[in-house]
Amino acid sequence: MATVEQETIRKQLRDFITESFMVGLEDETFEDSDSFMEKGIVDSTGILEVTSFVEDTFGIGIEDEEMKPDNLDSVDNLVNFIRRKQG
Amino acid sequence: MKVHDFLERAARDHPDRTAVVHLDDKFTYRDLYGKYRALAAFLDGLELAPGARVALLWDNSFEYVMAFFAVFRAGYVLVPLDTSVKPDKLADIIADCGAEALLCQSKFRRHLDRILPESTTVRHLISDRALKPGREAIAVGTLADILDNDAYRHDGQLPGAAVTFDPAAARHDLAAIFYTSGSTGTSKGVMLSHRNLVSNTEATVEYLRLTPADSVIVILPFYYIYGNSLLLTHVACGGALVVDNRFMYPEVILDTMERERVTGFSGVPSNFMILLNNSTFTTRTFENLRYFTQAGGAMAPEVIRRLIDAFPDKEICIMYGQTEAAPRATYCPPERLREKLGSIGIPVPGVTIKIMNDRGDELPPGESGEIIVIGDNVMLGYWNQPEEQAQVLRDGRLFTGDLGKMDDDGYFYVIGRKKEIIKCGGNRVSAKEVEERILENEKVSEAAVFGVADPLLGEAIKVAVVLKNGCRSGPKEIQDFCREKLAIHKVPKYVEFLDELPKYQSGKVNKLQLAKR
Repeated sequence: MATVEQETIRKQLRDFITESFMVGLEDETFEDSDSFMEKGIVDSTGILEVTSFVEDTFGIGIEDEEMKPDNLDSVDNLVNFIRRKQG
Repeated sequence: MKVHDFLERAARDHPDRTAVVHLDDKFTYRDLYGKYRALAAFLDGLELAPGARVALLWDNSFEYVMAFFAVFRAGYVLVPLDTSVKPDKLADIIADCGAEALLCQSKFRRHLDRILPESTTVRHLISDRALKPGREAIAVGTLADILDNDAYRHDGQLPGAAVTFDPAAARHDLAAIFYTSGSTGTSKGVMLSHRNLVSNTEATVEYLRLTPADSVIVILPFYYIYGNSLLLTHVACGGALVVDNRFMYPEVILDTMERERVTGFSGVPSNFMILLNNSTFTTRTFENLRYFTQAGGAMAPEVIRRLIDAFPDKEICIMYGQTEAAPRATYCPPERLREKLGSIGIPVPGVTIKIMNDRGDELPPGESGEIIVIGDNVMLGYWNQPEEQAQVLRDGRLFTGDLGKMDDDGYFYVIGRKKEIIKCGGNRVSAKEVEERILENEKVSEAAVFGVADPLLGEAIKVAVVLKNGCRSGPKEIQDFCREKLAIHKVPKYVEFLDELPKYQSGKVNKLQLAKR
């Protein structure tokens, strides 16, 4: 069962993605499990914005070698990654 | 000779070498040949008129490579479509080229809701899954059905040894229409002939010294002329295309490069900057990597120096061209890179470059003028745009719209786009020159300089800057930095800091969008 904290993280991420990458695309939606890459929501420079937001908002550092789809390529993956990094 | 003869030759000479790698799948030339022949037989059976346009909307993949050559073998004209473009724009392109068949990956099926009802020409839709075209007049097929159908299945025979391939005899028939992003914002359909593509491919194979042992990591889309060149050159030499569409996650690409032991990496400036600034790129050794190529816009000398320092034992080949030149016009021989830093090099084999003034006089070394390209690589023209065509194509010469000069050794340099010269208070300022200065600042990751309307100056210089992670700066710091090395009239009046620069799918910066902010 999702904790309150996970849900807070999830909402913050969704709000950021929507405000940063979906302006003008209000008719389009994305699931938490959707791949940013496959759905074309975020591109190779956009992902740098995402990591900056995650580092600043959740107080974690993301190493270059951690910039991989398993960690970053969906809201679900990001939530799990952030929780692991926060310990 | 036509473009698909490259595949015919590769299948004849190297049937069991790897042609395409995509994630966990590997395909030999024998695999590719059999499927390409089957698809070509199906397309031929549609009995479209010779030269009918067939559009291709598909991610980089084995299927793309197969379809690419099959369209040529069937005698049709290929129209590769930009997968990042909005459906309205795709509908416009399909209407413009009058495509009669569309090969569309099911991933893009929502685009069809906009494209097909609007189209009066598309009569055939082929995909990887059964799609509903929404119009009864459109015949639908899947690749699986086509390839499994005995009516099209190839008998496995490879091309015979007696077939010869002579690039000089390549046909000047229209082969493909590549729609460019265009600096004015309106797309133009660049018409390339078989001879354009064959001659330029052979020239590129020659100066890169590509052999069947070569394999290139493909991060650039095949619908982009630079990505297209990777496809053609590696099939032409019997080498391998290692396709990986996940550049959004650079570490994944670097892992693929090591795992597949690629010998080549080709990128545009933003690819190299992301790798140098945001990945473990410089910590890796890439034992099998022989060369890098860079095209798709000027890469600042500072960035090239960083690449040289990180990989001193690898060849780095800086190249220049445009879609209208199929695309390669010049290259800088890697062994001359350090002494010719900032140069786009010398003409590729078979191509002549001249620097001309507005009166059409050829200029001597040291004098600046427009870069003109002459050769078998120069496009046939712009599809349905005779006025635009007449502005850039005169007597078989391509007027590139780039300003440049030649040194005493015959090496060329780009000063800037004619359209990117900012006319600021009576002075002409090269956006490129200002960008290169700003990129020397250690806090700056990317910079894009452009002109904005100014009531006093006519045009004022504005720069959009992306800082490196963790760095802070302000407009005065950037302006002071420029002032140290540049004439006062070249210092940007406006400095805006952004988290990222808007880019086209090819990786080139979209300055039109920046100027509208």
